[in-house]
Amino acid sequence: MAAAAVALAFCAGCGAGRGGSGGSPAERLARGWERYRLGEFILALKDFEAVAQGAESGCSNQLAALYAQATTWSLRRPDEDKVRAERLYREVIALAPTNDLAVWSWLALARMKAAPVGGEIPPLPPQVEAYQEVIDRFPSHPAGEEAFFHQQAARLEQPDEARTREVLAALETFLGTHPQSPWRSTAYGLVGHCCAVLGLKDRRLDAAFEAFRSAEIDPASPPSARDMSTFYWQVATLAEFEAGDFAMAREYYRKFIAEYPREQRVFVAKQELKRMDELEAQIRRQEQP
Amino acid sequence: MISTAWSFLRRNSALLFVSVVFLWSVFAIVSYRKAGVPTGTTIQLRIGHWQLEAGVREAFDRMAAEYRKLHPEVSIVQDAIPESSYGTWMTTQLMGGTAPDMIEVGVSLPYNVLLGYYSRYFVPLTTYVRESNPYNRGTPLEGVPWFKTYRDSMRSGYVGEIQQYMTVPLAQFGTRVFYNKNLLRKLTGLAEVPHDYRKFIQTCETIRSHLDEQGRPYTPITSSGYHAGMWDGFMSAPLTYGAVRRVDFNRDGVVGSDELFVGFKTGRIGFDFPPFEARFRMLRQLTDQFQAGFTGLGRDEAVFLFAQQRAVFITTGTWDAGSLVEQARGVFEVGIMDFPIPSRDDPEFGAIVQGPVYENPGAGLPFAITRTSKHPEVALDFLRFIGSQKGNEELNRIIGWIPAIEGASISPVVKAFEPHLEGVFPAMPVDGLGGETSIKWGQQFALFQVKQTSYEQMVAEFQPFYLTRGTEELAEAQRNRRRAVVGDERLLADARVRALAEVGTNAVSLWMKYRGMTTGRLINRNLVTALLQQRLEEGVVTNAVGPYEFSPDIVARVRARLAARDKEGR
Repeated sequence: MAAAAVALAFCAGCGAGRGGSGGSPAERLARGWERYRLGEFILALKDFEAVAQGAESGCSNQLAALYAQATTWSLRRPDEDKVRAERLYREVIALAPTNDLAVWSWLALARMKAAPVGGEIPPLPPQVEAYQEVIDRFPSHPAGEEAFFHQQAARLEQPDEARTREVLAALETFLGTHPQSPWRSTAYGLVGHCCAVLGLKDRRLDAAFEAFRSAEIDPASPPSARDMSTFYWQVATLAEFEAGDFAMAREYYRKFIAEYPREQRVFVAKQELKRMDELEAQIRRQEQP
Repeated sequence: MISTAWSFLRRNSALLFVSVVFLWSVFAIVSYRKAGVPTGTTIQLRIGHWQLEAGVREAFDRMAAEYRKLHPEVSIVQDAIPESSYGTWMTTQLMGGTAPDMIEVGVSLPYNVLLGYYSRYFVPLTTYVRESNPYNRGTPLEGVPWFKTYRDSMRSGYVGEIQQYMTVPLAQFGTRVFYNKNLLRKLTGLAEVPHDYRKFIQTCETIRSHLDEQGRPYTPITSSGYHAGMWDGFMSAPLTYGAVRRVDFNRDGVVGSDELFVGFKTGRIGFDFPPFEARFRMLRQLTDQFQAGFTGLGRDEAVFLFAQQRAVFITTGTWDAGSLVEQARGVFEVGIMDFPIPSRDDPEFGAIVQGPVYENPGAGLPFAITRTSKHPEVALDFLRFIGSQKGNEELNRIIGWIPAIEGASISPVVKAFEPHLEGVFPAMPVDGLGGETSIKWGQQFALFQVKQTSYEQMVAEFQPFYLTRGTEELAEAQRNRRRAVVGDERLLADARVRALAEVGTNAVSLWMKYRGMTTGRLINRNLVTALLQQRLEEGVVTNAVGPYEFSPDIVARVRARLAARDKEGR
C-alpha cells in the first residue's frame, strides 16, 4: 500500500512537465509554470497565452495567465521583452486593481527599475520612487512590506553615511510600527549593516541578536534551510570583538559548538573561548599589585 | 528470377549490409541484457555511475545480489561509464529518455547545467528522506528520519537552489599519505613514518640519499600535476588560516577573494604576512622531495613510480586506496598515514601552525532517481537498502571506502581516513578574483613549483599586477553578481506563485521560504560589497585592528567588566 502511494506520488511528479497542449485552464497554468521552471519559456508562454485568450475578462484565470506571461517576458533570458512585460503587468492592474496579483504586479514593475543594465547599479531615485508607490498604495500587504526592504537595500547599495543614517531611522520606525511583521529579522539584519557602516558597535551586536531572536523557523524545512550557525557566529564574534561582552560571546560560541559540531568554524570557536580566558587572565595578572 | 534477385541484391547491397548489421546489433544487445538477468526477474533496474575503481562494481553486484534475496523479482544491472565521457553519456541518456533508473550525478557537468537537469530529469526526494529507512529496523537508527541517519545529515544530497533533497549519497571520502612500508624500512630503518613535519622531511632526505640498483636516487614523494595540489592543500595552504583574523570583514568565518583583495589594497595584509610566506617555504621544502618534472606528469605516471617501488610516499584519496593496495599485493606492504604537521616547537613553522587540517565530512557517491524510471519506488527501496546502516557498511566494506551512515563501522584499511572535524583551513584565495589575475598567479605559481622563481621574485612579479588589475576585476565581479540577479528573480517568482497557490500550513511554510530566499538572494545581496567598498574608499590604513583582533577599546571594556564583576563579588 505504502509502495503504491510512493509510486503514485512519483507518477504525479513524472507527469508534470511532459508534453501536451490540452487540459483545463488550471492544468495549463500549472504546466506553463512547470515549463517556466525548466526554462522552456516559449512553451510556457504558449500555455499562458492559451489560458488568457480562452478566459473571461477579469476572471482569476485570465489574471493568473497575464501575470504569468508578464513574469516570463520580464525574466526569461535570452529574448526578454521588458516593454511587453510592463504592458501585461499594467493590464493585470487595470483589470483588477485590488487583486493580489495586481499588488504583486506593482512590485514587479518596481523591481524592473532595479534591474542592473550591463551589471551597473541602476539609478537610485527611480527605484526609490517606484518602491515608495507600492509602499504607499499597499502598506499592509506582503508586497508593500517587501517593497520597503528592497527600497532600503537599494539605498544601501553604495556606502554613504548620510543615506545610511536615513535608512537606519526608517528601519527603526518600521520595527516600532510593525511588531508582528514576519520581516523583522530581515529588518534587524539591515540595521546591523547600517551600524557596521556607521561604526555603532553595540547597536550592531543588539541588531545581530535581535535578528537571531526574530528569525522565522519553518518546522517543515530541512535542516540545511534552518541553519542558525551564521546567527550564532555573528552574535559570538560581535560580542567578543566589538562589544567586549565575553559572557555573551562564550554563550554563543558554545551553542555553535554544541549544535554544529562538524562545522568548519568549530576549531576557531574553541580557539576564541581559550583566547578570552587568556585575555581575562592576563588582565587579572596586570591588575594584581 | 535469380538474375532479378541478384540484381536487387547488387543495387541495395549497402542498405542490406547496414540492415543486417543493425539487426545483429539489436540481437546482440538484447541477448547480452537477457543473459545477465536472473530467472524469475520481473523488475529490472539499471544503476549508472563513473566509479571504475577496484571494488566498486563488485560491491554494487554483491549488494544487488543481497537485495535480490529479499526481493527475488528484482534484478539490478550496472552501467559503469568512464569519468571522461560520463557527462556526455549522462546527457544523452537523460535527453533520450533511456537513462538508468538510478544515476550518479555531479561530475563532468557545470553546476548550472546540473541544476537544470535536477529539475527536469530527476525525482525530488525530500518527502522520502524525511521518513525513516525501513532497512534500519532493529538498529539504533530505527525510526530516525533517513536524512538524520547520515554523518553529514545528508547535506550533500540537498540542493539549495531547488529547495529539495535530490540525491542519496552513499560514501564519504578522505585524502591521506600512502607509503611503501618495506621500502621505508629498507632505506631508513623506520617501521613507521614520523608524524612530525620536521622529522618527515628528514626521513625524505634520508630516502633521497639512497640509490637503487641502477644507480638512480630514490624519490621520497612521487607526485604529479594532479597530486601536487593535494600536498599543498593539506599541508602548506592551511598555514594561511591566520588571514581570517585580519580580513574576514563580513564575519562569516572564511576569507573571500574580494575580502583578501581589499585587505591587500588597504594595507591590512600582504605577501609579507608570515603565514603566507610560511606556506611557500613549506611548499618548496615539499616539492624538493618530488621527482623532477612532476608538474608535467599525470596521475597514473606518479602511481606507476610508487608501484615500481622507486618512491616511498604518494598521496591520494579513499577512491584510490583499494587500487593501490591491490597493485602492491604480494610485492610490498602499503601503509596509510595522516599528513605530517609541524610541532609547536618547530623553529620555522611552530609559531604559524595552529592545528590539524579541517576536513569537510560531506558525503559523496550521490545517486538520483530518474523520472523516466518505470519502477521509481523500487529504485528508492534499493537506495534505502544500500543507504541503511548495515547496507552502507557492507557496500563500503567491499569497496574499501568510508560509510556515509552514522554507526556503520569502518574497514581497517580506511580507518585512517576518518575526517578531522576540527582544524584549520586555507585562507589565501589570491587566485579567485578574476580571470587575468588568476592566470597571472597560475603562471607565477607554476614557475615557483618548478623552482624557476623564488617567493620574492614571484611576489615582485605578481603583486603590482594584482593591485592594479585587481581593482577592475573586483568591479567586474560585482557587476557579474548584479547581472546574475535575474536568475534569483526567476526562482523567486516561481516560489511566490507556489506560495500564492497554497493555503493553510503549506502556505505558511512556503511564504517563510519565500521571505528567507528574498532576504538572502535579493535584499542582502550587495551589503558585503558595500562594506568592502567603504573599506576601499577609506584607503590605506596603518595598524588597523582586524575583525578578530582585540582593539585597545575592547581590552579596556573587558577590564571594566572584570572589575565590575569583582566588585559584585562574583
